[in-house]
Amino acid sequence: MKIVMEGNHAVSYGAKAAEVDVIAAYPITPQTQIVELLSEMCASGELNAKFIKVESEHSAMAAAVGASAAGARAFTATSSQGLLLMHEMLHWAVGARLPIVMANVNRSVGPPWNVWTDQNDTLSQRDVGWLQVYCESNQEVFDTVLHSFWVSEKLSLPTMLILDAFYLSHTSEIVDVMEAEEARKFLPPFEPKQFLNPADPLSFGNLTAPDAYYELRYEIDQDLRRGIDLMKQADKEFEKLYGRSYGIIEEYRTDGAEILLFTSGTITGTSRVVIDEWRDRGKKVGLVKMRLFRPFPVDDVRRICRSAKKIAVIDRNIGFSIGGIWAQEIRAALYGSGYYRPVFGYIAGIGGRDVTPDTVNEILEHVEHLEKPDQDVYWIGVKHEPVHSTR
Amino acid sequence: MKKKSEKKRVFQGVEDMPISAISESDMSWNKTGSWRNVRPLYDTKTSPCIAGCPAETNIQGYIRLMQENKYEEAAKLLWEKNPMPSVCGRVCFHPCTEKCARGGIEEPLNIPSIERFLGDWALDHGIKETADAEAAPGATVAVVGGGPGGLSFAYYMAKKGYPVTLYEAKEKLGGVLRYGIPEYRLPKDILDREIGRILSLGVNAKTAHDVGQKVSVEELANYSASFLAIGLQKSRRLGLEGEDSKGVMAGLAFLKSVTAGKPGAIGRRALVIGGGNTAMDVARSAIRLGAEVEVVYRRTRDEMPAIKDEVEEAMAEGAKFTFLAAPVAILGENGSFKGIRVQRMELGEPDDSGRRRPVPVKGSEYEIAGDSLLVAAGELSNAEAFGKVIEMTNGLMVTDDVGHTSNERIFAGGDVVTGAATVIEAIARGRKAAKYVHAKLTGVIAEVEGEKKIMSMSDINEAYFTPTNRVATAHVPLETMRDRFGEVKQGFAEDDVQKEIARCMSCGVCNACDICWMFCPDAAISREDGVYTINYDYCKGCLICQHECPRGVISSEREDI
Repeated sequence: MKIVMEGNHAVSYGAKAAEVDVIAAYPITPQTQIVELLSEMCASGELNAKFIKVESEHSAMAAAVGASAAGARAFTATSSQGLLLMHEMLHWAVGARLPIVMANVNRSVGPPWNVWTDQNDTLSQRDVGWLQVYCESNQEVFDTVLHSFWVSEKLSLPTMLILDAFYLSHTSEIVDVMEAEEARKFLPPFEPKQFLNPADPLSFGNLTAPDAYYELRYEIDQDLRRGIDLMKQADKEFEKLYGRSYGIIEEYRTDGAEILLFTSGTITGTSRVVIDEWRDRGKKVGLVKMRLFRPFPVDDVRRICRSAKKIAVIDRNIGFSIGGIWAQEIRAALYGSGYYRPVFGYIAGIGGRDVTPDTVNEILEHVEHLEKPDQDVYWIGVKHEPVHSTR
Repeated sequence: MKKKSEKKRVFQGVEDMPISAISESDMSWNKTGSWRNVRPLYDTKTSPCIAGCPAETNIQGYIRLMQENKYEEAAKLLWEKNPMPSVCGRVCFHPCTEKCARGGIEEPLNIPSIERFLGDWALDHGIKETADAEAAPGATVAVVGGGPGGLSFAYYMAKKGYPVTLYEAKEKLGGVLRYGIPEYRLPKDILDREIGRILSLGVNAKTAHDVGQKVSVEELANYSASFLAIGLQKSRRLGLEGEDSKGVMAGLAFLKSVTAGKPGAIGRRALVIGGGNTAMDVARSAIRLGAEVEVVYRRTRDEMPAIKDEVEEAMAEGAKFTFLAAPVAILGENGSFKGIRVQRMELGEPDDSGRRRPVPVKGSEYEIAGDSLLVAAGELSNAEAFGKVIEMTNGLMVTDDVGHTSNERIFAGGDVVTGAATVIEAIARGRKAAKYVHAKLTGVIAEVEGEKKIMSMSDINEAYFTPTNRVATAHVPLETMRDRFGEVKQGFAEDDVQKEIARCMSCGVCNACDICWMFCPDAAISREDGVYTINYDYCKGCLICQHECPRGVISSEREDI
């Protein structure tokens, strides 16, 4: 059934289709509508789940951890400061190997206070061991909730699905929503391998000495890497059933492209328009939409970049003093690939600053006229400063 | 807890390891209660209202039962400490209400109206009690004085199964309740019914039997034990010339005449001397007889011993008050009263009662004209006849704490022991004496009550109590009040009482609200049938339960570690 809805509600409908058992959440702009609608669904009985109100995001994740450890399909949602407050519990979910799914609406981190979008909240969590999937449209948001549970429950690792504040969270699009019965064809009921059971007491996460802790961390690393193939498999299975596919990376008009523009989130949609214009003018440019950030698809990035001459990356985030985080990851992936491709790192749109077709044009023109980057980061559109001297 | 595997497992490699650290045994070895250095404990306190009542009426307890709609049980619980709630709900000065911790939220509970409702409910529903089996075969008990103290003693002894003979000098029982307190405060019908309930336990009442005259004091020796509660019968005189002239009357005599339906003539303008409850009863009765009333009191309003409500109502009914003035002469003409000369007073150093002593101001005398003078300057005892059998001082009987006089078989209580006091005080002494007489007659030592822990307002967790309007006691409108002896204060309707008892915070007494049980972060509190138990194996002593308890039930104590 097609419904016009905002991105946040696409998350809620996704969680409903996934038949989550427990939702533990604390409200925060711009995420609130996600759990608001879920709470209404729980209240009306439309969704047979336990909604746990908590006093903070730390507790929200702690409750999700508890629920998941007890064998429930657990879900939560947060944003920005809320995600940062969860940090300790994010590690817990991974170490305890719990397939929790969480939606995070990308919002800038304060101070100064700002409710608009950028990716620093989620990218700050890059090493905790969660899968991270960045979405471009409301339909993709809905579908990704199902992908996430599918993969997480196979890996016993949690997944964060990520959408931009306002550009997606509060923007309405048509979403083809499926009911739980239909979704069950793709996502079977959760069958935990081990769970808390008062009738059969076990204790979880006990003190573990160096002789075993090391191996447990090794297992997490190995399993998270498996997430790349599983995410691809999920996408394929999903496509077979419902006809929609996103891949873990989407290559848009990359055939014969000499310049590849890497984007994530809603900047992708804007960039498609610009790439179309450049292609129409006969320019050899292509767009690469990065969907999966963790596990990082090193081999796919290498394969895609191999045929290009120059790589440009738009980062709606900043790793202070070193540049955009996606650019760093792509550079790191290419290092050791056996070939060199110059990677131009652009910072744009932080704190919700608009990234318009003009911005993307400016970036592509800049890449076009340079053989290789003369700076490791370019801040686009800093007021009163020409782009080339912002360093 | 069963142990699944005592054997230590050794993993050969990462392939045969689980994905996370799991212990196959449970955590029951880890008694986290050992981390504790302070322990919470359920520690029932005495509610401030109960502590404030001279008779220790279980106010919190009967309100709790009323909240559960168990009115009969509530009434019976009330009677355990006070057999006359219908009377006390109307005439008591209710120190319980002053102590009510709800006053710290918005206003104290309207305990008088709740008590009155419950007392009347029990009367209306004919709730009866039965006496226990005879406790000490052959023992007989006499009571002298049918006022609140004597009735209280008679009730508790009859309840224990003793044959009780109650001697009353006047025609009817009730003492000050009948002959002192006017109809508009305490309808005689209510008094009769409440006394009737007490007598129904098997009290043999002999009215118009004045012990000392009709019955000799020595005859009391025929009883295993006697309780003397004869009250104070004489009005204190001013000691001024002309006090016996026409138009001058003792306050008690005036009230008695009003009760008898043959009020003494008081003319158009009545002057009342005194500032106690008798003075207020006299003034308000005089107003009802159509007189203009001026109350003359030698101290100020703050020092008046009368119940505040009574003073306010007297004022509202139009009584004029002249403070800091004392009569120094009675003015008459041809043997008829014409007025008084008063002297202005000022307040000096505190006297024995703690109140500031009135000191005459020289050259400040002036006259107040009036048609009658009603003297309510205090009451004195009239107990000389008993001096033969017990020790007395200044006309008052001497007893120990439990009411035992110098005579092995004689106990005493009420105003004749304490001097002018209150109805509830007399009831308390009657009950206390009954308890010890029973102990003496059965040879079973009455258990000594431990020291009470009284809950203090600071133990109330105000966050749990939303300010809620007090349900006020309705009064008959002022316009109609002046002219009638009908009851002024109106009783609570069922709705009123339900609203008002819902405000009770159950101070210091658990009412199974579940807050501790819900808050315990270690799930160390369990609940069964509204009773909570702390599992000290797992209580870490965080004391969240103590801090959260809305009503200060939980205390804590340090532990040695």
